[in-house]
Amino acid sequence: MSRIDTVNAVPAQGLNLVQASDVTAGELTLRADAVVIGSGAGGAVAAYELARKGLDVLILEAGPYIPSSEFSEDFSDSLERLYQDHGGQTNKDGDLLLLQGRCVGGSTVVNACLAFRTPDFILEEWGEKFGLTNLSPEAMQPWFERVEKHLSIDANGEHEIAMHSQLVRAGARKLGWSVKPLKRNIRECALTGHCVSGCKTDRKQSMLVTYLPWAMAHGARLHSDTRVTRILESGGRAVGVKAEVVGHDGIKVADMHVDAGIVVLAAGAVQSPLLLLNSGLANGSGQVGKNFACHPSMYVAAKYPHEVFPWRGALLGVYVDEFLTPEKGGFILEAGGLGAVEMCLVNEPGTGKPFLQFMEEARFNSGIVTLIHDHNVGEIRWEKGRKVVDYKVADSDFPSMLAALKASAEIHFAAGAEKVFVPSIEKLEIHSVDEIDAVLARLENKPQRLRLVSYHPQGTLRMGADPASSVVAPHGETHDVKGLYVTDASLLPTSIIVNPQVTVYALASYISSEILKRTPS
Amino acid sequence: MLRVVDPMTTKTTKQQADAALAPLAGLSRRKLLKAALWASAGTAAVVAGGFAWLRRSPLDDVAVPEGLKHLSASEYHLFHRAIEVLLPTDGTTLTPVEQIPVITNIDRFIGLVEPAIREELGIALALFDNAAVFSGLHGKRFVDLDDESARQYFDTWSAGNTLQRTLSSVVKKFVYLSYWRDPATWPPVQFDGAVSDRWGIPSLGNTPLPDESAEVTA
Repeated sequence: MSRIDTVNAVPAQGLNLVQASDVTAGELTLRADAVVIGSGAGGAVAAYELARKGLDVLILEAGPYIPSSEFSEDFSDSLERLYQDHGGQTNKDGDLLLLQGRCVGGSTVVNACLAFRTPDFILEEWGEKFGLTNLSPEAMQPWFERVEKHLSIDANGEHEIAMHSQLVRAGARKLGWSVKPLKRNIRECALTGHCVSGCKTDRKQSMLVTYLPWAMAHGARLHSDTRVTRILESGGRAVGVKAEVVGHDGIKVADMHVDAGIVVLAAGAVQSPLLLLNSGLANGSGQVGKNFACHPSMYVAAKYPHEVFPWRGALLGVYVDEFLTPEKGGFILEAGGLGAVEMCLVNEPGTGKPFLQFMEEARFNSGIVTLIHDHNVGEIRWEKGRKVVDYKVADSDFPSMLAALKASAEIHFAAGAEKVFVPSIEKLEIHSVDEIDAVLARLENKPQRLRLVSYHPQGTLRMGADPASSVVAPHGETHDVKGLYVTDASLLPTSIIVNPQVTVYALASYISSEILKRTPS
Repeated sequence: MLRVVDPMTTKTTKQQADAALAPLAGLSRRKLLKAALWASAGTAAVVAGGFAWLRRSPLDDVAVPEGLKHLSASEYHLFHRAIEVLLPTDGTTLTPVEQIPVITNIDRFIGLVEPAIREELGIALALFDNAAVFSGLHGKRFVDLDDESARQYFDTWSAGNTLQRTLSSVVKKFVYLSYWRDPATWPPVQFDGAVSDRWGIPSLGNTPLPDESAEVTA
């Protein structure tokens, strides 16, 4: 192993990386101790943790480098430039929009900054059912503490709880339900409400302004516009990758070959299994791409008798954890804002004048985002050269969806809402608490009934002690290929209900320590 | 006549096209054609992979504006009618629909759609238009329905079978996104849009390296 002991200064702004426009040769051959595939939560943390211990690290990111100074705070434009498939990634039925970042920094650039530790009962379940006793709450605590400190994670102050969140808090308290300020990875939030379009002023502590520049200060190299096409293996060990450098016009600029004894796969829970399937690796269990879960979410909007301006202030302020555990429902509710463009798509107020009235009154609306503990029933695979996200809400999960909808409606009415808009394809409104059950009874678990969005793909390379039923061993290395590690949300053997970024940061930190233990000095 | 402008001066993204078309992802061509047969009371004529028009419309002989690059004439008339029905801004505080290049944005959306999906979309739009002849016993294509019947058609389909919900949702998404993505529509609803530059918020830049002197180890 080469050792890099020099520590450079972190630049004040931006990253000094290699983009497709910088590449002049048609063939690139590179060498590194560790090649990291993906620059999001799992990749950036692993890159830093390995680089700061002296390993020569190369990070390959398929997406473009968009410096924060170029963020537009226009959601439509941001989807085009920063998201996977330009924001158009859906499940096979087309009724669930799957939003993932595709840029340097990955989804951490476009997420809503919400920072939860993995619930204790989830970690305990992983120990009992998947043999992951090394990930007990006690064992994970120092890793959570480490990333929370690095990323300035703290609970929202009162000034960060905007009107939309104040209403949800008031409603929940009136019902006697537990409601708490959300924790976020942010410094001096400017309250623009544009988190999901990227933080233009670098207050969000995404990988773009933290772990990536830190890794590079320790000598890590970063290539954007570089899509890994195959992981290379020899004699049961990972030995590197093949990749393509593709310009922003879609034209291939160069082929790349990387020799590396350590391969860290962190392309996200959709792309990582696709890459392993392409490579024909690590699938002795037959579980690669299986067990997909995603926290299918709805935005439950309500109209209030006064102005709310859901696009003003911190995007998300508080959450209701009254129903967090499976025996109480297995869902959480997050109070959140929304911009005008998104507002026109979240429900069906009716055709013509009713729709225009809904939009004229958009500033009177508030909303709640629902997250449920869905089962791992989906699959990511290739079909005729195209990726397929085969996922439907399981019948066993539909009661949780309805319960989350009902609780959201009850909160809105307790907070004084005049009516609640059901996020359905057909027009469904609820005008009082007494109507909730009857209206929701009209919903069925069938395609194109509800308007679903997912921000949290997970589970497709699940971790476990049994090689027959899992892809990745408890220390993060694949059962089948030595030197091939996974550090993204593909690892999670069950859905975790809460936003997963801190779970991924902590697991990537832990797995990096395991890589270092197994790496000869 | 709705406004048609130079596409080069407008900004419509592939993302918007993809988002609008998302519901079509679950409908293969075979499914779509099969569904077409029963969705219009078993009478839709599927001929050589395309629709025979079930009923002539006076609009069939009306020329479409110059400048459109991707919409067929029948698709133009369909969206023209859908815009009138879905965005009746007269009498509201909203930016008049005539001031927004909605049809141009839709035309650009269509141009960004992948060829295989584009073919299915064409069939789907033809189905939406033709099925009105029988669906609800209107006896006319969608483009010829009066305002009230056209509104009812959308509402009925949004509560109908999977295919009907899908198609009504696709048409609405095309129209809504093409209107609301234009910043000129935002002031009447008091949406602030981009604010950081306007408010003069400074960038904090990259975060300094963490102090690892008291390193946490597990």
